[in-house]
Amino acid sequence: MTGQLIQSLVDALSAGATLGLAALSIGLVFGVIRLANFAQAEIITASAYCLIFTWQLGWFIAVPLSMLVAVAMSLLMEFAVFSRMRSANPATLLIASFGLSFLLQRVYELMFSNNVRTAPVASGLAQTVEFAGVRIQLLSVATITIAGLLLLGLHLFLSRTSMGLQLKAAAADFRTARLVGIPAGRVIALSFALSGILAAAVAFVLTVQSGAVGPTFGVQITILALVGAVIGGIDKISGSLAGGFLVGFVTSLLATWLPQEMSNFKDAYVFVLVIGVLLFRPSGLLIKGRGVART
Amino acid sequence: MSIDDNASIDDDASIVDDARSGSGQRGRGLRVEGLEVAYGGVPAVRGIDLEVKAGEAVGLIGPNGAGKSSTLLGIMGAVARSGRVLVKGEDLAGFPPEKVVRRGVALVPEGRHVFAELSVADNLRLGAVARRDRTGYSEAMEHVLTLFPMLRDFGHRQAGLLSGGQQQQLAIGRALMSDPDILLLDEPSLGLSPTAVDTVFEALDVIRAAGKAVLVVEQRAEFTIAFCDRTFVLHDGEITLTLSPEDAEKVDVLTKAYFG
Repeated sequence: MTGQLIQSLVDALSAGATLGLAALSIGLVFGVIRLANFAQAEIITASAYCLIFTWQLGWFIAVPLSMLVAVAMSLLMEFAVFSRMRSANPATLLIASFGLSFLLQRVYELMFSNNVRTAPVASGLAQTVEFAGVRIQLLSVATITIAGLLLLGLHLFLSRTSMGLQLKAAAADFRTARLVGIPAGRVIALSFALSGILAAAVAFVLTVQSGAVGPTFGVQITILALVGAVIGGIDKISGSLAGGFLVGFVTSLLATWLPQEMSNFKDAYVFVLVIGVLLFRPSGLLIKGRGVART
Repeated sequence: MSIDDNASIDDDASIVDDARSGSGQRGRGLRVEGLEVAYGGVPAVRGIDLEVKAGEAVGLIGPNGAGKSSTLLGIMGAVARSGRVLVKGEDLAGFPPEKVVRRGVALVPEGRHVFAELSVADNLRLGAVARRDRTGYSEAMEHVLTLFPMLRDFGHRQAGLLSGGQQQQLAIGRALMSDPDILLLDEPSLGLSPTAVDTVFEALDVIRAAGKAVLVVEQRAEFTIAFCDRTFVLHDGEITLTLSPEDAEKVDVLTKAYFG
């Protein structure tokens, strides 16, 4: 029983870490330009396709290349679409990102067909190891480690570098940041680039888990990540991360511990939670008060 | 911990961005010609002309909605505008705010808008992003900390935890870190205690004496008229009156300034 509990906690930590990264990738961009980018799903998908198609060349080529694809695609979205809509309100930006998402899904269908593409990406991580009577999947450990390292790196970047500090300021109050002299274009591009790196990490974890990628590969996790970001407080980088983690963690535990007939609806419980948060804590569970209105 | 305790903050010029044009041309003022600002077709500023010379403080007063803040935002390029904004002879038309700052204009916004979750030191460091040089960073930091000694003691405190008066000092210090020739202030006395207001205006006096051009928007008419070398009264987006410090005690002038 204890072993099963620990196992489920490790799995939940891993699911929370993955969704936390996905939500953070959305929150980083939202903090700066108020864009909840639904097309983040297609960045994850593109990165995953890249892993599938290049894995046979070796992980040391496939992983950096998939990261490069994610960053390039993220920046391309910004320059080709969102930079042309700077004065648009968040609702318009969100709808534009929906449109972009659907468009890219059709492009993937045309390029790679509707069928899933498969490859044994890091299949070694699918193994389980037994430690003190507890069976733990290596992928869970790897996911938690990857997320930890990325978050540490991001934290150091944001707190120790000039560009990181500028990004933090822009995420907190974009208008004032510009009035202080922080170059808008540069911090926006930086937020998209970092968001791309996080999307690549999510793509890696999901591709190892499933080994198969289709045109809508990144959609489900992106929806849940958006939900997590809203629950935690999308206004803040830390809120998005924590909200995403919470949703992933709770969903995983529900899947493990609820009876089969109830666990099938685990995602529905998450959306009930969202409705509750929107009603009673519209700024997010983890944001104090109602948050400061941005001008 | 004070700012001095952390040498990396005092000496850290890494925050300084690439060169700002116009280096070496110090001590020039601001000239605004025919400035117009409108929101959704509704005019807020209707063709204002004004000049602030180096070492001069100019006030802008007027009732709410007169166009005072819009004038400052128009100068900064933070709202759509027409007309000419000349700094060192260069027209800043079409420049975004970050580029205006690089031309030597800094704004202390209404409500201070310090980065509440960042430390005092980080707020000051961000102010230096638009500096034209790396070498002047430490000197500017020392200047700001001398002007506002409180900031030296609270270097690592979250800016949002400071009192209103302290935040105003930080906001002015942050603006000074960019080494501006022209300092714009939007209601620096708003919500402050009389003591805090005195501290802020004593500092502005020092800044003016150092050769900066100061343009200050205020609600406290009498105080502003007495402090500034010239004060313009705004009504419905137009300058309707120009006052000198001697007018500060003339009740009829002040009444006319506000009620027409």
